[in-house]
Amino acid sequence: MQKHDDDIIAAIASGQVEAAIGVIRVSGKGSLSLLEKVFSKKPPYEHRKIYYGFIKDKFGDVIDEVLVNIHKAPKSYTGEDLFEINAHGGLVCMNKILERLFEVGARLAEPGEFTKRAFLNGKLDLSQAEAVAKVISAKTERALKVAERQLQGQFRSTLDDIRDKILFLMAENEVRIDHPEEDLSSITQAERLKMVSEIKENLKKIYRAAKYGNNLFNGMVLTIVGKPNVGKSSLLNLIVGQESAIVTDIPGTTRDIVKESFSIKGIPFSILDTAGIRKTEDVVEKIGVERSLRAIDRADIVLAVFDSSSELSDEDLQIIEKLKKINSEVVAVINKSDLGQKIELSKIPFKHKVQISCKTGMGLKQLEDKLESIALKGFSDRELISLNASQMESLKKAIEMCEQLEQDIDNDIDPALIGVDFLSLTDYLDEVIGRITNEDMLEVMFKNFCIGK
Amino acid sequence: MRYPKSYDVIIVGGGHAGIEASLINARLGMNTLLLTIALDSIGQMSCNPAIGGLAKGHLVKEVDILGGEMARNIDETGLQFKILNRSKGPAVWSSRAQADMTAYRLRMKYTLEHQKNLDIKQEMVDEILVENNEVRGVRTNLGNEYYSKAVVITTGTFMKGKIFIGLNTYSAGRAWEPPSEKLSDSLRKLGLKVSRLKTGTTPRLDARTIDFDALIPQPGDDEPIPFSFRTKELNRPNIPCYLTYTNEKTHEVILKNLDQSPLYSGIVESVGPRYCPSIEDKVVKFFEKKQHQIFLEPQDEKSTEIYADGLHTSMSYEVQLNFLRTIKGLEKVEIMRPGYAIEYDFVDPTQLKQSLETKKIRGLFLAGQINGTSGYEEAASQGIIAGINAAFYLLGKEPFILGRDEAYTGVLIDDLVTKGTKEPYRMFTSRAEYRLILREDNTHLRLAEKSFRAGLLSRDEYEMIMEQRRKIEEVIKRLKTTFIFPTEETNKKLKMLGTEIIKTKTDLAKLLRRTELNYDKLRELHPELEELDKFIKQEVEIDIKYEGYLTMQKQQIEKFKKYENLKIPEDFDYTKVGGLSNEVRGKLMEIKPTSIGQAMRISGVTPAAISILMVYLKKHNDRFKNSA
Repeated sequence: MQKHDDDIIAAIASGQVEAAIGVIRVSGKGSLSLLEKVFSKKPPYEHRKIYYGFIKDKFGDVIDEVLVNIHKAPKSYTGEDLFEINAHGGLVCMNKILERLFEVGARLAEPGEFTKRAFLNGKLDLSQAEAVAKVISAKTERALKVAERQLQGQFRSTLDDIRDKILFLMAENEVRIDHPEEDLSSITQAERLKMVSEIKENLKKIYRAAKYGNNLFNGMVLTIVGKPNVGKSSLLNLIVGQESAIVTDIPGTTRDIVKESFSIKGIPFSILDTAGIRKTEDVVEKIGVERSLRAIDRADIVLAVFDSSSELSDEDLQIIEKLKKINSEVVAVINKSDLGQKIELSKIPFKHKVQISCKTGMGLKQLEDKLESIALKGFSDRELISLNASQMESLKKAIEMCEQLEQDIDNDIDPALIGVDFLSLTDYLDEVIGRITNEDMLEVMFKNFCIGK
Repeated sequence: MRYPKSYDVIIVGGGHAGIEASLINARLGMNTLLLTIALDSIGQMSCNPAIGGLAKGHLVKEVDILGGEMARNIDETGLQFKILNRSKGPAVWSSRAQADMTAYRLRMKYTLEHQKNLDIKQEMVDEILVENNEVRGVRTNLGNEYYSKAVVITTGTFMKGKIFIGLNTYSAGRAWEPPSEKLSDSLRKLGLKVSRLKTGTTPRLDARTIDFDALIPQPGDDEPIPFSFRTKELNRPNIPCYLTYTNEKTHEVILKNLDQSPLYSGIVESVGPRYCPSIEDKVVKFFEKKQHQIFLEPQDEKSTEIYADGLHTSMSYEVQLNFLRTIKGLEKVEIMRPGYAIEYDFVDPTQLKQSLETKKIRGLFLAGQINGTSGYEEAASQGIIAGINAAFYLLGKEPFILGRDEAYTGVLIDDLVTKGTKEPYRMFTSRAEYRLILREDNTHLRLAEKSFRAGLLSRDEYEMIMEQRRKIEEVIKRLKTTFIFPTEETNKKLKMLGTEIIKTKTDLAKLLRRTELNYDKLRELHPELEELDKFIKQEVEIDIKYEGYLTMQKQQIEKFKKYENLKIPEDFDYTKVGGLSNEVRGKLMEIKPTSIGQAMRISGVTPAAISILMVYLKKHNDRFKNSA
């Protein structure tokens, strides 16, 4: 179906989770006359009022008892006529209401489409829309808090510092070019280099904070490997079962892409090939380690499970050899530690090792701490930020440009060429620290240097 | 009287902008009239006796390739020529020349007088005649009405000019010349927004009372390089300037007498240029500096008048004399004319299109200081663009516009019409984002094509320049495809040239990139290379040595052009775009940017507003869609 920006769109706004009350949001020109067709309470509907009634199917039978609140254009979130149905019947019932809305002319909203409309109708500017999208996509409470803090501009002071230094250095460089006849007591080369290096370090700090911040937002992919019967399935149940799991079954053609999502300490994780792990363990198949290793290429963290109560087998060694070659982080999970320790830990070459008993639950906390420290690298929530992929790419290029600048200043090359470096640097940082214009630079120049005849 | 002859174009004002506008119109075959308050002041240098300087040299050369006169005129009348920033890279080299200002002025006057299609009259324009928002001509102080299809106004500081010396003020357009009291009222009536700006000049001193022996002479270059690409040889003297400094005593005199300054006593409230502060400003704002430079410059080969560069002031005559006499070499100095500040009317340039035509009145063009700029070169470059566009308007051609990626003139005009200005606007190299490409040395190479196509350059001149370009490309290609090998003999030669030996097969271009090598040294290494003309050699060296940076700059230009090519239709209705704040919408409606790129440069237009605009345009405009 052709999708248009003036269609009436509808979606479950409260998420695909079982909850006491669910909300269905409907927006678009003419949406209120659509409501009239399905709602027992007939118009007039007034802005910001809540109406009680029933949603009925096409035969007039009640689907659910609901409250509907009305927001009229342009004073709604999207800037269009909008209403929200608060139903309490659970997912099945919610989906029935949704289907009923489709029957009378609405279509399913695409992800983020309400926000997109708000943006298109001038209710949000792009940066707000981005921030809102971030808040919406935050999968956990913890990520939400970090996103909100960023909205309030907590890392502003670092950015301001970077911006001030760049402006000063640019102005200083320009003075050399445009006012060569002036005997300006400029700063020394060493001081310039120091400032560039400070800019670079700050950019790197932001980059790292965003890199690990993005782990908090986008989550990390785990996989569990190990020989048959080592306890992969029990480990899976232990970590997934511990939290109230958000289960997303993505139907696919092979069970390989079945994954389970959950969070540990507010960090979203998903485990690949859970079906495979469960099944092989259940039937004690002798498929060997091949299948167990299948998902490692797609994982950020590999949990390699070993049996504490026996010595390392050939299969274990085979797995270790394979894992030594990959880039992902590997955590050796030494299971069955309640059955004593025959395993030689020194033969397992991985930095991260956790002893655990899936049976008693002992060691689970240490495993969770380990996963948190790998995901967030010790950054506190206050330090973490979230940037999108293009911003990350720009930051990376800006850091490289700082290195170029250091080299060029060190070689004392032509200031006009250093000017080209600065232009590229500010181009890259446009999105991150805001546009630097020639006027901004001149402002700083006239303030700091006595120039002009 | 209604004057019996009617014109294609009338130019109001005979300063540096008016001259170029007049000449280019006459040269393009337009029937042109130049009206000036004083025939004897045509081409007068109101402030310093010099042409060019940082970024300004670029403008002069751009005027030259577009068919202007400024470069040829200074080549004929200069007193010394110098390339500034020689110690730095070629992107920021700038030509500057001291001028014999009397000779400069007279040669300009004669050039105008001998120009076909150009009438020149001494009359003051009081009113612009307009019908249905279209210009019809002008009315002068003598009651004459001159009719024309286009008018270019270049009034400099003359509209309601007011001079300040100490606490004394009087009305004048420049020093002792009458101001134009009525014209700006006429412009206001036409609906143009007119405001005030301020600038100033320095005292002129008597050379006979200066002790030059105590000062440091500053001669021009031994091998002067002309401004005009047409000038084959320079036959001019090399007369030195002299350098001296203010000192703590000078500053003390100024600080003690701030109540004698119209700037600090609150009489002058308009804004002056930050880059050209008065000496009282410098002393107050940079209190910690113990001295400021003063350049003493000759004004005229034969006259004893000396221009004291660095001493712009509007202090009282007495204070000027007292602080001057604290300066080394000036202990017994006599003032011939005092420094002064001048306040004048200018038209907010955001009311102009990129062609320098007013948005309100068709056929009415403005150029020079009336648009809020400062400087002869800034004036001339606007003069020639406004002139060309007045002619093109009559000929029904598309406006002639230079982009920020093409010329300093393009940067200047885009800045003015996009951002306006709060102080007299001066060109700096730092205003040009792409100065590595927009160099002074390659001005004629980069603009020849555009100039020729617009009919501003003769075929012979164009062919000559194209031949230079071909030659440069040919040599670069040869250097890149000529290899030398690490033989014993080659490495011995390399050592003799003071550079590292090579270990593998290497092309000559790669060697040329080494700081210590140049084309002539490569010839010692590889005698088969031909001897080259000095200019070609220089361009080859620049292109090869800076290749990496030039490539980077070209990428920056590509990025810039992407937004420049997203055109906004002239009749675009901003009221239909939801989501813009009233402030942003107001600005966009006022400036009417022609592209998203220009819209991005309007101050206060946020990145968010730009994305909303782009989304809207993409959705609603097919032309935009196709260009995106």
